[in-house]
Amino acid sequence: MMKTGKTTNLLPPAANENKAETRDAMGRPVNQRKNEVRLGREVQARIGQQLRAMYDNIVSQGVPQHLANLVRRLSDQDDGTT
Amino acid sequence: MKLDPVIRDQVLATVPSLRAFAISLCGNVDRADDLVQEALLRALAHIDSFQPGTNMPAWLFTILRNLFRSEYRKRRREVEDPDGRYAETLKSHPEQGGRVEFSEFRAALARLPSEQREALILVGASGFSYEDAAAICGCAVGTIKSRVNRARTRLADLLAIDSVDDFGPDRATRAVLARGGRG
Repeated sequence: MMKTGKTTNLLPPAANENKAETRDAMGRPVNQRKNEVRLGREVQARIGQQLRAMYDNIVSQGVPQHLANLVRRLSDQDDGTT
Repeated sequence: MKLDPVIRDQVLATVPSLRAFAISLCGNVDRADDLVQEALLRALAHIDSFQPGTNMPAWLFTILRNLFRSEYRKRRREVEDPDGRYAETLKSHPEQGGRVEFSEFRAALARLPSEQREALILVGASGFSYEDAAAICGCAVGTIKSRVNRARTRLADLLAIDSVDDFGPDRATRAVLARGGRG
């Protein structure tokens, strides 16, 4: 019998984090985790790609005009010190 | 004192990345641009404390990050996002440069604890070394490593792309491939 999935949404994610050392959550021996390690690398590569793509998308917008003006104005002004 | 043009150009060259970091921290372009402006004002007012030849990006990121943290402490309730509302606003901000395919990723990123998010971005996107990231965040290198690891694990959870235990490798692998978006 399946429990309704609704209540599990209320649990903090941390509740799922402590998995047995020798058997995983589905009771499979840990040697089946080899695939997971490999998959884990693929997942992390995918996350890294998305992170950089999102970031580079903003970087490629360059320096907004008002910020460029601000830096030029402040760096050209003579404030009386030497 | 007029600023050395070399230093000025180093500052300008860092702005795009500084802005990307600020947007990642704030999740809001207008607030991020205010934050960048404030950081630049502060940096240029204290440019004497920058040692030429040292890492300009790390110096500016540190200033911006400190500004953000002090503001964050003031606005803690506003910034925390138990209902995902903040994450939701990210989805509807196309001017952030967020194309549709990033919306799910942005939403997941927004749900990370801010310390994990900043560590992941500094190392995984800005390209800082763990040592530089630790200096920027004012913590130990090991702390940064642990935050980055936790961030990656949590992101994978949120994006449900490591659901091996629940769905088996084939389905999880397909989910990863489906996200490739190259087809």
